[in-house]
Amino acid sequence: MASRTADTVIVGGGIIGAATGYYLAKSGHKVVLLERSFPCSGATGRCIGGIRAQFTHDLSIRVMIESIRLFSELNDELGETVHWHQGGYLFLAFDEPRKQAFLEAIKVQRNYGLDVEFISSAECGQIVPGLNREGLLGGAYCPTDGQADPFHVTYGYLAGIKRLGGEVRVDTEVTGINTRDSKVVSVLTSKGDEFFCPNVLNAAGAWSDEICRMAGIEVPIAPDRHESLVTEAVERLFDPMLVDYRSDGCYFVQHIGTGHFVGCYTPVPLVPGRNMDATDEFITEMPRRMVRLVPKLGQVKVLRQWAGSYCMTPDGSPICGRTPVEGLYISSGMSGHGFMFGPALGKLMAELIACGKPSIPLDQFAPDREFGKAEAMK
Amino acid sequence: MGGKTRRTARKRTAKKVTVVCRCEEVTEDEIRRAIREGHQTLEQIKRKLRTGMGHCQGRGCLRIIAQMVEEETGFPASEQKLPTSRPPLKPLPLDLLARYDGE
Repeated sequence: MASRTADTVIVGGGIIGAATGYYLAKSGHKVVLLERSFPCSGATGRCIGGIRAQFTHDLSIRVMIESIRLFSELNDELGETVHWHQGGYLFLAFDEPRKQAFLEAIKVQRNYGLDVEFISSAECGQIVPGLNREGLLGGAYCPTDGQADPFHVTYGYLAGIKRLGGEVRVDTEVTGINTRDSKVVSVLTSKGDEFFCPNVLNAAGAWSDEICRMAGIEVPIAPDRHESLVTEAVERLFDPMLVDYRSDGCYFVQHIGTGHFVGCYTPVPLVPGRNMDATDEFITEMPRRMVRLVPKLGQVKVLRQWAGSYCMTPDGSPICGRTPVEGLYISSGMSGHGFMFGPALGKLMAELIACGKPSIPLDQFAPDREFGKAEAMK
Repeated sequence: MGGKTRRTARKRTAKKVTVVCRCEEVTEDEIRRAIREGHQTLEQIKRKLRTGMGHCQGRGCLRIIAQMVEEETGFPASEQKLPTSRPPLKPLPLDLLARYDGE
């Protein structure tokens, strides 16, 4: 068994671990990132790449405004083309209560300087040619929201960690966390290594409850299954991510770099667990919902379907911060928004671990908070 | 003389390139570079370069790439795990799938 040292050991090679590791390495920390399988093998590599600041929780809005700033500079920061594109997000309102909820959210979002407004049904039709506007009252539209490529962003951060002197180990499972007097001592791996370190960041997504349990801590996360599909590449049809919140709605976007449409829906009822099997129900139901919204997509062919986990928390907001075990941090429970939160939460968690204080206080995401009102734009 | 000019022009624009994944237009050079950078399984190369993510879903290229991984790393092609096969096996229009009623 080999013993090694690090300033911070990161558990998980998705966007959260990669981004936090990068900003820590940049601040001078010796980072060792451990990934059980391969980078992006969990939720990051299964998400559809949407990025938005349209939330209802104050802190989510603030963190996402920062994340969008970081995304816009990421090509230069990482020396990797991340396919960042500000095509906007358009949340459609098909009934009065939904419209009122969007108008309320827009008030809060505009307080933070977000360029968001409620636009008419006709304006929605201009932004999305071919949109079926039957029953449409309008939509919450924010043109500064966008999309990026989850793989290139994550690989860019991981390459940065290595460039800055850190280590990234794949096929390496964390098998134990040693503590003494409720303080982190070391991390054990399936390869027989032991890393002595003052800090551990649990960025294991849908598996972060198991990692916390190794140190005797419980976190309230509950994964549920979301399915996605991707179509063939076609000519550019429209820019924004379309979000239809009806119980039989869906959301999808056309990727800027490639021209594929990718989309998902939230099943009713939810499908709890880490099961990532694709279903026949989705591959027929999702096309119905997409074609209902934009009929001219009918002839576009579906290439693939797959599934991934939303790592949900009781209030639908992330769990980020210190745990009762000194030196053990968690950044998880992204509730379906890990990729978009990644850059900003990575930077803020790195500030917390390296300096003790993030530049945007993350108290409202703290693991020991009271889980209250749920995020409405989830 | 005209012939000579044409040959020179061709020399200047055409490079020797082997396209391995024809759907996503990924070249042999790009794949070998990715393997050397540490993307050493078919799943990882797929995510880095989109090999096997186009219309044919990897029917045309995955075995060739497996052979290249063997050449670069020594890990036998026959023992490499193919990426998870994702339905539908053949591209189908949204309209057709939307009309499917389970029969």
